[in-house]
This record gives sequence, structure tokens and C-alpha cells, in this order.
Amino acid sequence: MSIQATIAVNRFGLGARPNELAQASADPQQWLIKHLMQKPPVIFDDELPHSNEISKTLALLKMQEREEIKRAGKVSTTKSNKNNAKEKSKKYNRSLLQQFSASTVNNAISSPHSLNWRLLDFFSNHFSVSANGAFLAAMSPTLEREAIAPNLFGQFEDMLLAVTKHPAMLLYLNNEKSFGPDSRLGKKGKGLNENLAREILELHTLGVNGGYSQTDVTELAKGITGWSIANPRKDEEQGFIFRKIGHQPGPRRLLGKKYPMWGLEQGEAMLKNIARHPSTAKHLCYKLAHHFISDNPPQTLVDKLIKRWHDTKGNIKEVMITLIKAQESWQPQAAKYKTPREFFISSFRAIGANNIDTKNVFNSLLMLGQQPFNAGSPAGYGDDQSDWNGASALISRVEWASALSSRVKANAESIMKSTLGEHVSQRTYKSVLRAESRKQAFTLLLMSPEFLRR
Amino acid sequence: MERRHFIKGLGASLLVMQSPSFAAKALLEKTTTNPKVIWLVLRGAMDSLHTIVPTFESELPKLRPKLSTNIKDQLLMLDNGYGLHPSLINLHQWYQQKQLLPIVAVGSGYDQRSHFDGQDYLESGLKQVDHDSGWLGRLVNVQEKQALAIARSTPISLRGESSVNTWYPSKLKEADDDIYQALMNMYQDDALLTERLRSGLEVKEMTMDKSSKKQQGKFNDLAKACAQLMSGEQGADCAMLELGGWDTHNNQEKRLARQLATLDQGLATIKTGLGKDWNNTLVVVATEFGRTAKENGTGGTDHGTGSAMFLAGGAVNGGQVLGEWPGLSQQQLFEQRDLMPTTNTFSWIAAAMSQHWQLSAKQLDTVFPQVSLAKAKLIRTS
Repeated sequence: MSIQATIAVNRFGLGARPNELAQASADPQQWLIKHLMQKPPVIFDDELPHSNEISKTLALLKMQEREEIKRAGKVSTTKSNKNNAKEKSKKYNRSLLQQFSASTVNNAISSPHSLNWRLLDFFSNHFSVSANGAFLAAMSPTLEREAIAPNLFGQFEDMLLAVTKHPAMLLYLNNEKSFGPDSRLGKKGKGLNENLAREILELHTLGVNGGYSQTDVTELAKGITGWSIANPRKDEEQGFIFRKIGHQPGPRRLLGKKYPMWGLEQGEAMLKNIARHPSTAKHLCYKLAHHFISDNPPQTLVDKLIKRWHDTKGNIKEVMITLIKAQESWQPQAAKYKTPREFFISSFRAIGANNIDTKNVFNSLLMLGQQPFNAGSPAGYGDDQSDWNGASALISRVEWASALSSRVKANAESIMKSTLGEHVSQRTYKSVLRAESRKQAFTLLLMSPEFLRR
Repeated sequence: MERRHFIKGLGASLLVMQSPSFAAKALLEKTTTNPKVIWLVLRGAMDSLHTIVPTFESELPKLRPKLSTNIKDQLLMLDNGYGLHPSLINLHQWYQQKQLLPIVAVGSGYDQRSHFDGQDYLESGLKQVDHDSGWLGRLVNVQEKQALAIARSTPISLRGESSVNTWYPSKLKEADDDIYQALMNMYQDDALLTERLRSGLEVKEMTMDKSSKKQQGKFNDLAKACAQLMSGEQGADCAMLELGGWDTHNNQEKRLARQLATLDQGLATIKTGLGKDWNNTLVVVATEFGRTAKENGTGGTDHGTGSAMFLAGGAVNGGQVLGEWPGLSQQQLFEQRDLMPTTNTFSWIAAAMSQHWQLSAKQLDTVFPQVSLAKAKLIRTS
């Protein structure tokens, strides 16, 4: 079996399920490109609620909470009443965060198109939101479903707009209450918050050396003042809402371009233009090559992606096809060290598992060091080898792999063949075959240098 | 054989096999208690004007009508009209015992306002950030010290040529010993995995009996483990810790009260854990940059420039507030919005390290190129 097939399923996909390597081997490139022809790109096979539903439920619980407090009056309530609204809402949030996270991971584990799930995770991390606080715990996992997945194979600017208007992002980077100092709300004392605008320029589009100034940050922040979230108890709309009376009046100037229009249109025009900016193409293409291929991707590869990005005005699917067709993407040396999430998913794909228990998924990722929606920084989780190959992280993987091996009855030799083909070193091969027990053999396979990398 | 002896033996045999210089160093008797260093990075940009409050500033109530009022009467007073945030009870006590040295209006030299770049700059300590070389890593290398990161992976601060142990609490069930033996054998041709496994086992051995299984990564638990891993004969000479959550764009009053209490408690835990080693310890606490002098529209502050730092520990010549106050009037602010940094963070770190670890001029130049030392006695001479 060709090494190309092994690379296709491991470097581009999330590791082989049984028989997948065989399917990929006829034409590994075409096999991958076929993933990108799927419509829709990914399907979330669950019945979890939309962010608008979540907002409504949380508003209802909040109302109940207030009534309970009123009813209790001055009489002190029992300290931890499991049935009160506050506890209910806490439980609801935590449980949704876990269900969402586990469902996405389970979908990635059972998918025959794991390249698409890898790509989704890449953009979900690019537009990272953390589950800080009660409301974001339930809301943060909806961003990738509602704003990223529908645009996964489309134009980057559409994804950027959808993400920037999503309640999770608006809330996470404090834009929901950012109002122009000269707007009606501003005159009542509400102010500007430039957090989202700065991260859009620095992280989501141009990149930190993309050539913008503090003035550009402030101009963009003013351009998206009033981009807010509907209050289910007061507003008729749901989700994103443009609060006209909070929008900073007047024309703006961003990166040398003038934006004379007023209202929602102004911020939208600004975002579209920065999505099309050459620095954005450079930043995103480098990040893609860095994620898929190597911590130090060849410049020739990055240049090919940038060219395709320009030719297609930032079409993600077309850029991905260029990445797949580039000869630089197929170097035999595995240059990436799997993240804990990739390690977890590829381990279960290897044994052909489905529907891993929610708590197991969530707690395993926590202990392996990559709790979902907990990067703690809008830059997302790191994507360098050195972010994940620490000593204590390695011990955690050994412990986790060893626990998994004692639960499943896996034939390590055949799984080695079905995931890595013939592309393992003599030492790994012998170590797995000569292991003292079936359990040890499977642990060694999961912890082998070849399985830890891609 | 009891398992802890086995692991210990395994770690030691690897030590000799893989890294002769490291092993030789470990074998050297530590005749005196080594001066210890703890480097604590506050990620997210701590608001210094809300931490070491300049009560003499007439501009402050104008810039921060909401944020400056409520804590005004509860401040823990230092010298020259500075007051510590009321959450910093232990630090205030240390100040009185001359074990705390706050430095106001410092900046790393990074004057953009990105957290991530600012942190990288603070950790790398180079004009041109190198993500594979940190100032503490270079220092550990030239001084041949043993370093530890309380993290899942080596942070930039400690990256460099020397090997660094990392430790983070695990709730997973321990694997059987024989699997480690087999892995060691399988990794023979893989230098990186061999090194990681070796240092992983080493640290595992050190924390094995210490009920680390219950810990979950709370700062106080990490502080406790950090002190444990630094104490005793085999303890590390220096360690890096980090504490996030300082990016207070909104609701700053409550959030900072909580954050600063966590910081204060964690540092107190380190002191307790180090026991008599505390007398020989230097703790350096810094953040990537400060926050806007003015409060914003959401009860918080935005990314700024100048901030403050702390030197603490039994080794420190404390009980004084250092740094040069720039003033807060419009024309005294950096870009008319941020506290102006008047001295460089690294000039203080380099001076403190130089006095604490006796660095030669050549070593200083390698670790902190182009940094001029602050002229002050920062470390006590015992």
C-alpha cells in the first residue's frame, strides 16, 4: 500500500477507520477531494438546540430566578436548593457544553469524511471562543455549528461575517455592549469596547504583522458599534441585532479606505474589505499549511495557496484542493505531532468505535490537556509541536491509552496495518508484536512515534 | 520491588543513559541551599492602577470615577502614597517585613497592544521574539540550573537548549510500570520522545506520594505543587508558573478583587511550602502590559502599556516602592491613553537575577542582550 494513502488518512483526515486506508489507496488525492464535494460539508447528527433556543431558555430561567428571590423576600433561602432556578440554569449550561462538545467529537469519530471535520476544527480554533461564565458555556459550542460549518467550503468573507455576528463571538469579545461615544446610547454613558475589533484584525484576518495601527483598531471598533445580541425579554428579534441608537455616527476610515455609509452596512463593508486584504490571504494560507503539513511549511506551498486564495477571492474549498494537489504536502516525514483532540479521535477511529459516552469524551479531553472551548485565549489552542509534546502531557497519554487498552479488546497488529499501513519502523513493529499482553500491544501502538504524529 | 523504587530506578538509569551532563549535575552534592527563583506570568494584562494605587494622583478620580471610588478607603498603604488593593493581604504583610518590592510604571518595551505578542515578548526577552528561546531558558542554560514548568508543555520563557521538566496534575489512573519499560525500548531511535518520557517519569517520581491526584489545576494547587517540586535536595532551582484571567474589559471591580485574592493566596502557599528555602527565594511577578488609564464604558479597562511588577521573597531587599512615577495628566500618558512606562521590566529582572545568581557580564549579555541593569539593590546581602 502506498505511503500516500497513509498520509491522506492521517495527515489530512483524522486517522483511518477500519477499511478506510484500503479505500484511499487507489487514488489518495481524489479520495480526499471527494470529501470536499460533500453537501453539506458536515452533518451534526444530534438534536441539540440552536443558540436562539438556548437564549430563550436562559432568559426564562433568569426570570424564574428573579421571582424566586422576590418571593423569598427577606427570609433567607436554603443555601443549596437543587431545584431553584439558578441551579437549574447552571446545570443546563454545563450539560449543554458537554453534550455539544461530545457530539461534535463523536461525529468526527464516525465520519467517513474526516477531512471536513478536521477543517471545521481548524476554523473553530481560528475563531476560538472560550466557555467563560454561565451563558458562554452553553453558547460557545454553537458558533462552529451555526456560523462556521455552513460556510466551510465557501468564501472566507462570508464565514467572517457570520462569525462576527454570532452571539457567542459578540459576547466573548465584549462587543454586545460596545456603543459609539457620540451615539444616543453613548451620550447616556455607554462606551466603546475595542476588544473584538482588535482580535478581528490581529487574529481573524490580517494577522499581527498585517499592517494595521491603533487608529485602525479604533475605527473598526466604531464601525461595529451597535452589533449586539437581542434580549429575548425585550426585543422581537432573535440572536444578532443591530442597535441603531448605539452606532457611532459619521464616516470611518480603515486601512486607508473610506467608509462613508452609515449603519449596519458600514461594519459589513469594513469586514468584507479586510477579508479580501492581501495580508488576510497570507495569514490564513500560512495557518492552513502550518496546521495540515508542518510547523515550518515550505514557502512554495504557502505561495501556491495564496495564489489560489487571490484567484478565488478566498474560496476555502478551492484553497484546500490546491493544498491537496501540492507535491509539498506529501513529504513522507510526519512533521506534525497530534493534538490531544486528534489523538483521542484517531484512537477511537482506529478501533471503529461509535458514540463514545459524553462524560468520557469531555473528561478525557480535559485530562489530556485540551478541554473543548477552553483555550482561554481568542488565539485558540496552539498548533505547534511544542504546544503538545511536553513531558507530563506524554505521561497523561500513556495513562489514558493504557486505560483504553484495558477496556477494548483490540488486535493491535491488524489495527497497526489498518491505520499506518506498512509505514512503521522495525522497532515499532517488533515492540507491538512482542508485547507481553494484548493490552500492552495496543497501548504501544497508540503511543508509537508513528501514531503520535501525522 | 515497590513501584516508587522501580520508577525512581527507571528515571535514574535513563538519566545516565540519555543525558550524561544532566546526570553528573544531579550527582553533585548541593552544599548550600541554592538561591531559588520563581517566575510568575500574569496573562491577560493586569491593571496596575487598580493594584498599586497612586492615592496622591488628583487625575485618578477623574479618569476612573467608578473604578477608583469603592476601594479608596480600604487600600493597604505602602510608602509614598501608594496603596495596595485590599485583596493583597499577604503581600502587604511581606512589604512590612521587607520581603516585597513593588515596581511601578514598568514596560517590557513592547508597545503594541496584543496580549499574545506582548506575552511572547515578555517571555522571550528579545527585541525580535524567538518562540524557541526564553530568557529563563537561556539563564538556566548558562547557569546549568534545573528548571521546572508548572504547565502541560514548555512555555516560551523556558524554551532553549536545556531540558526542562514540566508538570501538571493528572486525574488519570496510573499506567503499569512495565508499559514504561516497553515504551523506553520503543523510543530508542526517537530522541524527543525519549527525552520527554525520561523527564516525565522523573517528575512523576517526585510527586508520586503527594496526593497530587486530587488537584485540578487551581492556582493554589499549582502553587503548592510548585513549592513541593522545588524543595529538598532534588528540587528544581527555578520554576515558572502562570495565572490567567486579568483581561478585565468589563466588571473589573469584582473580577480583580477575586483575581488578586487568588494571586495573594497562591503566593502565600508557595511561601509556606518552601519552608526555610523561602529565605533564599526570589519571586518575579510580571504581566505583558498595563491597561488604559481611563475606565471604559463597561466598568472595565482596555489594553494599555505601562504596568507594575513585583519582586517578592526572603531574598528580596523589600519594603520600598521602586520605579519612577510618570503622572497621569493627558500629556503625561503614553499616546494620551496609557500609563507611561518609565523603566524597562527587563532592566529590573536582569538586575535582580544578576544579584541573586551572580551572573557574569558575558552571561548577562547572552541572556538579556542590550538590557541595561537597573541601579538598585534588589537582593538582600545576608
